Amino acid sequence: MTELSDELLVAYVDGQLAREQTRAIDKVLEQDEVVARRLDALKEAHGRLEAAFEAILAGEMVEVLVSPTLPPPVKRKRRISLPWIGLAVVGIGIALAALVGGYGWSNVAGVLKACGL
Amino acid sequence: MLPRLKRFADVLTGEKKEGKALLRRALFHMLNEHHRYQRGTSFDRWAFAEIYALWLGGLRDHPEPLSQAKASEETFELLFHKGGEEKFDALTANFLGQLPPQQRSTLLLVYGEGFDYEDAARVLDSNAGTIEARLIRASASLADRLSAGSRASTEDSAVIETLYAMRPQDDDHDRAQ
Repeated sequence: MTELSDELLVAYVDGQLAREQTRAIDKVLEQDEVVARRLDALKEAHGRLEAAFEAILAGEMVEVLVSPTLPPPVKRKRRISLPWIGLAVVGIGIALAALVGGYGWSNVAGVLKACGL
Repeated sequence: MLPRLKRFADVLTGEKKEGKALLRRALFHMLNEHHRYQRGTSFDRWAFAEIYALWLGGLRDHPEPLSQAKASEETFELLFHKGGEEKFDALTANFLGQLPPQQRSTLLLVYGEGFDYEDAARVLDSNAGTIEARLIRASASLADRLSAGSRASTEDSAVIETLYAMRPQDDDHDRAQ
């Protein structure tokens, strides 16, 4: 009968061994039921630990989605609203038309003032 | 990313409320100390290390660090999501809850996050040998529970091969934490 240490078997399960070492263990496993059973137990332990951490993460996903840890980002208030921009464009257009039409600068200034610009 | 960090904080503290508080402190600390972040460092590893350092600092300042580090069975079980398809594994949950926080977080980083031993050691301010020793101890202990008595049946076996010798200094380092 052969005994391989838990250190070696855990490293085998975790994929930490060199290829030659892995092959050597594979050979032992074919011949020794006791070592094979121990390896199965270690593999099951490994699998259960992974599943346990997955289950915790699943809980965190639900929780973070429901109540975030950090406060939501503050929305900036829009300083210039769309109606104001529209009014400004119309005002500038009228002013330019008045200027081109020969109404004089004083009239243009009056139109801009009326548009609140 | 945030759920992963939260899981780490929860597993470390052993409960959701403390874990959330630890994560919140760590996130604000990281924002304030963002200039310490070095380019090229993996962000998640840096974040895990910051959480761990903050937790360890809090533990050292606590008048009763041992009681603070111990997780209760009931609160630890609450960390697990029980509404999914997978059946709740009470044996493993109980096993993890009884482990020291450093050992729990080592298992999480390697088996939950898929870190290699070196990265896990960097996060936990330790060395790869200690990480390996913790994994072996915990895996063997859980395997023993799963197959009670199997260890006794191998006691008569002849030792013919051990590629890794036990390193006493790893044990010492582990106990000192």
